[in-house]
Amino acid sequence: MRCNNIKGLIECSFVDWPGMVCGVMFLGGCNFRCPYCHNHPLVLETDSLPALPLGKVLERLAPLKKWLNGVCISGGEPTFDPELGTILTRLKEKGWKVKLDTNGSRPFVLKKLLAKRLIDMIAMDIKAPLDEKKYIRCTGRRVDLENIRQSIRIIRESEIPHEFRMTVLPRYHNKNDVAELTAYLAEPLKLQNFNPRTTLDPRMAIEEGFSPEIFSDLQLLASGAAHNDSNDKMLIAS
Amino acid sequence: MGVVLPLEPIGRNTEKISYSQNETTDLALFVRTSEEDITGWNRQRIVDALLRETFIDPDTAVRISKDVEKTVKSGALKTVTGPLIRELVNARLLELGLEQNRRMHTRLGVPLYDVDQLLVHQNKENANIPHGPEATNLTLAEGIKKEYALLHVFSEDVADAHLKGDIHLHDLGFIDRPYCSGQSLEYIKKFGLNLPHALSLAAPARHPEVLLSHMVKFAAALQSNFAGAIGWDAVNLFFAPYLEDLDDKGVRQLAQMMIFEFSQQAVARGGQAIFSDINIYWEVPRHFVDVPAIGPGGKYTGKTYGEYEKEAQRFAWALFDVYQEGDAAGRPFFFPKPLVHITEKLFITEGHEAFLEHICDVAADKGNTYFVFDRGETAKISECCRLSFKLEARDIEDAKKPWKMRYSALQNVTINLPRLGYRAKGDDATLFDLLTEQIRLAAKGHQQKKAFIEKLMAHGENGPLSLLAMKCDGENYLRLERCSYLVGMVGLNELVKTHLGRELHDSDEAMKFGLQVIAHMNLVCRKMGERFGMKFVLEQTPAESTAYRFAKLDMAHYSEEAAMVVQGNVENNEMYYTNSTLYTAAGEMNPIRRVEREGLFHPLIEAGAITHIWLGEAHPDKNSLKGFVENVFKHTQNDQIAFSPEFTVCLDCGRTMRGLRDDCSYCRSNHVDGITRITGYFTRVSSWNKGKIGELRDRYRNPNQL
Repeated sequence: MRCNNIKGLIECSFVDWPGMVCGVMFLGGCNFRCPYCHNHPLVLETDSLPALPLGKVLERLAPLKKWLNGVCISGGEPTFDPELGTILTRLKEKGWKVKLDTNGSRPFVLKKLLAKRLIDMIAMDIKAPLDEKKYIRCTGRRVDLENIRQSIRIIRESEIPHEFRMTVLPRYHNKNDVAELTAYLAEPLKLQNFNPRTTLDPRMAIEEGFSPEIFSDLQLLASGAAHNDSNDKMLIAS
Repeated sequence: MGVVLPLEPIGRNTEKISYSQNETTDLALFVRTSEEDITGWNRQRIVDALLRETFIDPDTAVRISKDVEKTVKSGALKTVTGPLIRELVNARLLELGLEQNRRMHTRLGVPLYDVDQLLVHQNKENANIPHGPEATNLTLAEGIKKEYALLHVFSEDVADAHLKGDIHLHDLGFIDRPYCSGQSLEYIKKFGLNLPHALSLAAPARHPEVLLSHMVKFAAALQSNFAGAIGWDAVNLFFAPYLEDLDDKGVRQLAQMMIFEFSQQAVARGGQAIFSDINIYWEVPRHFVDVPAIGPGGKYTGKTYGEYEKEAQRFAWALFDVYQEGDAAGRPFFFPKPLVHITEKLFITEGHEAFLEHICDVAADKGNTYFVFDRGETAKISECCRLSFKLEARDIEDAKKPWKMRYSALQNVTINLPRLGYRAKGDDATLFDLLTEQIRLAAKGHQQKKAFIEKLMAHGENGPLSLLAMKCDGENYLRLERCSYLVGMVGLNELVKTHLGRELHDSDEAMKFGLQVIAHMNLVCRKMGERFGMKFVLEQTPAESTAYRFAKLDMAHYSEEAAMVVQGNVENNEMYYTNSTLYTAAGEMNPIRRVEREGLFHPLIEAGAITHIWLGEAHPDKNSLKGFVENVFKHTQNDQIAFSPEFTVCLDCGRTMRGLRDDCSYCRSNHVDGITRITGYFTRVSSWNKGKIGELRDRYRNPNQL
C-alpha cells in the first residue's frame, strides 16, 4: 500500500520519547489551528510539502535500529491519516516500538490501534482545561470535548505507558487552568513552556512564554505533588 | 624605550666617551636609553653593540657608527632614543648587504600605536583570557617572545611557513614552555609542596583540604610553566585515601571547594583561569587496583587503591552534584573540565547505571561531562580540549609508582590542509607529496623547539625552567625524552571539498579520501618519529583561532580557490575552516551518523579526538543520553564525545537561561551574553573571535521539532 503523508523525519531525537532515543515521523494535516503551533507547515501547507515514501523511511531507519529504542509518530494529527494503521503495522513488522502523539480528537482510532497492540507508548496533548471556550481559543476550532474526554479515558485505561501534556503561554493559560486540568486528570500533567520561534499565527511570534520562575511554579502545580502549597505560592507570585 | 624626562642639561660622563682618532664628537645630543636613563651621545656604544651582538668586523662597525652619527647630527635633534639609533644602524647594515648581521642586531618591540590599542581593546585569540592589565602584559610579552621564536628559535623555512599560513606553530608567545602536562596527585601527596625557590616548604598533606590546596597551588605553578592544559589523572581515586573519615556532607563540601577553586583561580597566564582537566573513574582502573595507596602524611595506608573504590565513587558522585548545581547564578562551570572514562570495567562495576544516569543528567543540564571511551585494554589520561595520552607498557609500569606518571606534549604544529588542496590542483600524487613536505616541516619545527627547551633545561634547578627541572623523585619533573610532539590538522573537510568537489559528509568517496589523507599523516608521523627518535602523534587541533587565521590568509593569498570552500560569512569576516577532521558544523545530520562517521578517524588520531553534539536549546532526557552514550561505546570507534547546550546569562539580573537569546526571559533586559562551547571548553560568546562566531551561526543543532 502507498503512503504519501510522511512529511518529515528526525532520525535521532533525545527529546520525543522520555528516557529513549527515537526516530520521529511527522504526518501532515491537522484538525486544530492552534495559533501557537510550532509545526504549522504540517498543518497549513501540508499538501505542498514533499512526502517521503514509507519504504524509504523504513530504509533510513533500519541501520539505526541498534541505536534507537523506537519510533515516534507525530504531526500534525496522525489519527486523521487513513494510512496510520498501515504505517504502524509496517513498523511493528520491522520490530520497532512505537510511540504515538495525538490531540485526542479521534478516540475510536486510538481504541482500534490499542486493541491491535500497535502502540507501545502514547502522549496526548491537551490544549486547555476541558471547557468549550477555552478550547476554541487555544485550537481555533470548535472541538467536541466528549471526544477529548473519551480519549483521556481510553489512554488511562490502556496498559501502555502514557503521558498527558499541555503547552502553556500567558495569553491563554493561568495557574487555575493548570490546577483544574491536573485535578481532572488526577495524575501529573507534563507542561511545556511556549517558545516563540515560528508560530502558525505570525502575530504569536511576538508573544512570550512564561518566565522561568512562574513556569517552574506551574510545573509544581502540574505535578500534583504540592497541591495546596503551591496554590498559595502562586497567589503570592501573581 | 626610557621614561620621558624633562630635558635639562645633564652632565656628560666624558670618561666613558672614547674619541677615536681625531674625530670630535661634541654633539649636544642626549640619548634616552633602555636603562631608563638619559645619557650623552656616545658613538662608541654603537660600535660596542655591533661587536657584541653580531659577527661584524671592527672597521665596518666604526664606519657604520660614523654614518649614523652623521645622520643623527643632520636632524638637529636635542634627544634621540636608543631604539631609533638601533634602527638607523640596522638601516645601514641593510644598505651594506649585511643581512645576517642585521637580523642579529634587530630589536623586538611594539609600535606606540599598537600598545595604545592593546591597552584598550580585547585580544580575542584565546577566549579564555580576560581583558585587564595582566592580560595586556601577557599579550605584550607574548608578542615579543613570538618574534623572538620566529627569528631565533626556528629556522627561516619553518618560521616563514608559519607566517605564510602553511602551518601554525602554536603558542609561540610561550616559546620557552612546553605545551601541556598531565600528572597524578601522587607527586604532591608523596613529596608535599616542594617547589624550587619557593618561600616555604610544605610537608605532604595530612588533611583533604590541605591536599586540595596543594593541588591548586601546584596546578598554578605548573600553568606558569606550560602553555596549555594541566590535567589530573584519576582525581577521585587519588583523593580517596583522605576521605575515609569524611561523611557525605564533608565529601560534598570538598568537591565544591575543588570546583570553585579551579574555576575561580584566575592566576594563570594573563589572569586566565588555570586550564584544568580532571579525569574521573567510577571503577578502580585495572592498572591501579594493586598499587599501594598513599594517604595522609604521604605514608602508605597499607591498603591498595583497589580497596578505595567506595570512597572514590563517593567523591566522583559529589563532584557531579556540584557540576549539576552550577555556580551561584546557576551557570555551568567552565573549569575544571570533568572527563569521565567509559571502560569495559565500568559496565561490570556496581552502581554504574546510577552513575551514568547522574553524569548524563549533568550533560543534559549543564553540558560539563566529557565521555572518554577507553575500549579494550586501552588506558588514557586526558587533558586539554581533546588531547589524551594512551598509556604504553612503560607507563603502566610507572603506574606502580603513580607519582612517576606525568606526561607532556612539547609543542603542537598544525597543518593548513585546504591550502594543500589549492596547490595540488586535483592531483593526488602532488597532494600527498605536499602533505609529506608539510609534516617534515612540522617535524623540523618540533626538533628546533626541543633543542631550545633542552638548552633551557640544561640550566637545571637554578635555570629558567627550575620547576620542570626539580628532581623530587630523582629525575626531572619534565621528562623530555618521553615527551610527545603533536601534529594537528585544520580543514580536512575543505581540503576534500577542493579536491573532490564534495564535503566529507556528502559522499562515501569523499569520506574514503579523507581517511586516506589522515592515514597518510599518521604514517608519515610514525616514520619521521622513528628517524628522529621522537614521538610525533596526530592530534585534532582545537584551532580556536587557527581555523580563522588559515581561512583569512587563504582568502588573501588563494582567494579564488578558497572562496569556493571557506565556511561562514566572508563579507563580514566571520569565516573559518572546519576544525580538524570534523564534519562541517552546518551539516544536517543525525548525531548517530556524526558520532559513527567522525569516529572512523579517531583510531588514526592517537593524541585525542572528539565529536561534539550541539544541543542548542533542546533539553534532552538524561536516560536518552545514557542509552546513546552506551551505544557510542559499544558500536563505534569514537574516542570522546560531549554534548553542548547553549545558555544565555543576563548581565543585568544575573540569571541564566537555556538557549541563545536576544533578551532575558526573566527581566527582559537585552543586556545579555551567551555561553556555550567554543571548541573544547565553555566560554562567553562575547569573547569569541569572528571565525568562531561564524561557526556558531552555522552549527547544526539536533532538532526537537520539524
